[in-house]
Amino acid sequence: MFPIGDDNPQINTPIATYVIIGLNALAWLLLQGMGSGSTLNASVCQYGLIPADLFGAMEAAKPVCPPGSGWSGLLTSMFMHGSWMHILGNMWFLWVFGDNVEDSMGSVRFAIFYVLCGLGAAAAQILSNVHSTIPMVGASGAIGGVMGAYLMLYPRVKVHLLVFIITFRVPAVAMLGYWIAVQLLGGFSSLHASGGGVAFWAHVGGFAAGALLILVMKDDELLVKHEFHGWSQSADPAGIWDDPANRQ
Amino acid sequence: MAELRPMYMSDLNTVVKIIEATDEDDAEEAREIYQEYGVEGQFVLEHDNKIIGVIGYSEVPGTDGTYWLSWTYLDPAFQGLGMGKQMLNDLLNMLREKNGRKIFVKVSDYDDPEDGRVYERAMKLYESVGFVEELVGKDFYDEGENQHIYGLKLRDAASDEEDEVEIADEKPVIRFDGMYEIGDSDGAYTFSWTVKDNKGLFEKRNFTVEDLRLGIDAVRNEGGRKIFLTFPSNLPLIHTPLQAAGFKFVGRLTDYYEKGVHELHFTHDLGNG
Repeated sequence: MFPIGDDNPQINTPIATYVIIGLNALAWLLLQGMGSGSTLNASVCQYGLIPADLFGAMEAAKPVCPPGSGWSGLLTSMFMHGSWMHILGNMWFLWVFGDNVEDSMGSVRFAIFYVLCGLGAAAAQILSNVHSTIPMVGASGAIGGVMGAYLMLYPRVKVHLLVFIITFRVPAVAMLGYWIAVQLLGGFSSLHASGGGVAFWAHVGGFAAGALLILVMKDDELLVKHEFHGWSQSADPAGIWDDPANRQ
Repeated sequence: MAELRPMYMSDLNTVVKIIEATDEDDAEEAREIYQEYGVEGQFVLEHDNKIIGVIGYSEVPGTDGTYWLSWTYLDPAFQGLGMGKQMLNDLLNMLREKNGRKIFVKVSDYDDPEDGRVYERAMKLYESVGFVEELVGKDFYDEGENQHIYGLKLRDAASDEEDEVEIADEKPVIRFDGMYEIGDSDGAYTFSWTVKDNKGLFEKRNFTVEDLRLGIDAVRNEGGRKIFLTFPSNLPLIHTPLQAAGFKFVGRLTDYYEKGVHELHFTHDLGNG
């Protein structure tokens, strides 16, 4: 199940989305050696987020990484990735959903929104296991926030899903609802597990942060230009004819 | 005692005379329409074996029990006696028995230099049996002669209002394929269109502002004054191009197609008036 697009026209050029994708690509290229063994491992330790490291608990455990990445990892970890598939998958989701969310608030505000969602994701992941010594990397928490916001803004918009070789058009609420359900299930089943893998709680935390932040960060004047925003359909989706100038 | 009975083709001349007494243009058009489409759903009011009125309905195909009231005229000699109201109520009850859902009627507000507003009494009559004005198409029939459309719910509100309906958006591939002058108007045009099953690979799903402009130019060349277009309310893609082409929103006929799907009316003024 893979989203390949949506029936949601973008109105303004999503500059911040492009810049964020560019920053992730640059980090992958320059700091992570495009995934080559030693450079990748060093970058994940240096720029990843290690919960135990924040609270000085690294000495007690047998950490994967040397201590020292500290609090800056909160920010840097969201531009790091673990593999080609990881970065490509994340960037694709951002490409599909980011433009319309950015359209609802403007580029500068979207950049702030994105970082806040990443921080929310990190906080959730830390809370799920404060003693973890495994570095967390990836944009997925912040992108989870973008998806949470998308769900709140455009639940009725049809998302095109590729399943094997067939595409389906399903409402965003179904696709994103399914996605968050999978993350929650993964999160609960991983609570007592140790070791690496998918940071489900980061996804959940980011998603929740995005869904809440969008309530205060969206710009209704920008949003009204989107035909399919909101939960209910109206006879005049874009509110065009509400304007007295457009009435007979 | 006056009674309604189905109209027959043999009543045609009498009926046309009754209409003529109020509106000569309508009488001429009514004759043509009756001859072309028959008299099904049309009724005459008989009083002492003499026809003194005509009324009727036509069902809108593809809708859930929506009707238009057809020509409704009463011999001027019998006006003001409550007979029009009785005739109208009899017809509405007939439709209620057929489980009709909604009926609409179009009325002109023509102001005759000698006779004044000839349809004012008709409007009062419609309102008296429960019709409510839903929209006004300015200059529809002619410059300064507007079209008022009244609607009436045939089913009682309680049985209809309860259940909320979920209406799905639709994105049909609409393509305009012509334009023509609206029958009972002078200089008001509309477009004809077809709905394609699929859009071509590089085609837009919806008609575009350029498509609309082609039609607008064609009407302008014909010397048209105004263009009127109507669409169901569940087509989200039509609004942006309509607005971009300069169309204005006239209003809507509520629940025209089915409960929750209205008919939206749009107009474009060509300024050739």
